[in-house]
Amino acid sequence: MERLTGNPTARHPEWVDDVLLAGRSADVCLRLPAPVDRGTLRRLVGEAQARLTGAGLRHGGAAALRLPPSLAYVVNLLATWRVGAQAILLDHRLTDHEVDRALARLTPQVVVAPVHAVGGALRVFVDVTETVTRYADRPATSGHAVIQLSSGSTGPSKVIGRTADDLIAEVRRYTRIDGVALPGERIILLPSMVHVLGLVGGLLYGLHAGVELVPPQRLSGDAIVAAVRAQDTPATVLGVPFHIGLLASTRPDGPLPQLTRMTTGGELVPAATAQAFTDRFGVPLGNMYGMTEVGVIGTDLHGRHRPSIMPAPGIEVREVDGELRVSCPASPYVGLSDPTRWADGWLHTRDAGSVDPATGLVTVRGRLDSQVSVGGMKVDLTEVEGTLTGLPGVAAAVVVYDDGITAYVQPDGPLTEEMLDGLLAERLAGYKRPRTLRLVGQLPRTTTGKLVRSVAALRVAAP
Amino acid sequence: MSGQSDLGRADLLGMLAELTAKPVDQVPHRVGSMELAWLVHLVEQRYGRRLDLTDDQLAAIRTVDDALAVFRTSLTSATDG
Repeated sequence: MERLTGNPTARHPEWVDDVLLAGRSADVCLRLPAPVDRGTLRRLVGEAQARLTGAGLRHGGAAALRLPPSLAYVVNLLATWRVGAQAILLDHRLTDHEVDRALARLTPQVVVAPVHAVGGALRVFVDVTETVTRYADRPATSGHAVIQLSSGSTGPSKVIGRTADDLIAEVRRYTRIDGVALPGERIILLPSMVHVLGLVGGLLYGLHAGVELVPPQRLSGDAIVAAVRAQDTPATVLGVPFHIGLLASTRPDGPLPQLTRMTTGGELVPAATAQAFTDRFGVPLGNMYGMTEVGVIGTDLHGRHRPSIMPAPGIEVREVDGELRVSCPASPYVGLSDPTRWADGWLHTRDAGSVDPATGLVTVRGRLDSQVSVGGMKVDLTEVEGTLTGLPGVAAAVVVYDDGITAYVQPDGPLTEEMLDGLLAERLAGYKRPRTLRLVGQLPRTTTGKLVRSVAALRVAAP
Repeated sequence: MSGQSDLGRADLLGMLAELTAKPVDQVPHRVGSMELAWLVHLVEQRYGRRLDLTDDQLAAIRTVDDALAVFRTSLTSATDG
């Protein structure tokens, strides 16, 4: 096994077969809803591997996957790793502007994107016909197996890399957590597999452990219930807090004995919401805490410690000056050396929190920076504000979270909300865009001229 | 079928208020993919039927008013059909 260093080398690609694709050919691994068994998946991965190498992907290179959640995404991801290459995961909701910047920085050898996709905003999984395009002829910028982009505070997205060893360690961590779906059971998969919860907690763990992955037919409460009911085997619903509301607001329609538990990550769930869920379905609502940089950090899958979580096996958490730090042997950041984010084997989470010395339970109390969670997706308000400020016609902008991303914009010429909307839509993925835009003649400033960020003062400025 | 054309703007704002935990008069009128999924889900729950919406219809929804127009069309055509 390679050492984890600041510039890791790629692992031998056999890990894909050993850790993810092993098992009996007839075992079902995905239900879309048509079952996809392991033998079929192995065949599809092999075919995709031939297409990727035919287009120029090589061991030590990188493939950018700009695909919505789909069988094509799963197959190309595994095929990329099987080549011994790095997978750069680009959320399909990113704009061309965001994707072009990422590709220019990461110089993949190929880009995989849909030529045709069926199913729109309400689909959890999409039917995709993909195309592979040659992009650059350079080795990957690092030896990480996967690269993910996180909304950044300094303009472009943060680039986060994880090695194959790190992913394998996380998959194995899941197998040691009490309350995860067990072999032969099902995960009703709602989070995007481009992001860490759906990727490792859903896809990779499911493939490794022999748990069937079942995305509902669409993003609605009835479809989640239908997916749970579709088989007799126990089912865990994996999602983010938004999905609790979908499930809990369905009309009661008989017992749901297959439902074992719902587990959410992304943000804290209010105690009242958790209680309402448990009262309705009679099963636990589990909670997970994790980050793109390290994956799952801690869990409370039985809902016994809410709002606290117990660190996952092998993960150490400590509190330093009110901030939670998590053991992380190597810096996960590519092209960034920032000791305020990672130093000496510890990741600075920028989450406020505490660790109970007696029990080891960790309580997360919210962000110490400008990052917010929108439906489980992390958005740095500084990125939104920086984008707005850079638009033509904008003199200044302040972006705050006021039960939703809210932007206050001071124009320096003729500017309408519609014009701003159009410009933002070209530059920022939908989940990052403000839900409320307010144009104000003069943004409030301090006596020294700094923009005021208090929500109360901003509300007064834009009544 | 009765009650299928009575969907109003206030209904949708009430649904979004439930999602965002904001008073109805402070609910943003812009609708993202999450808000849209929530509205479709709750309208389907209310009428006990599935809304058959095309990708183009869904993609065109940017505001509460857009959503209302599309939902009304879908509910009406389902009734007529």
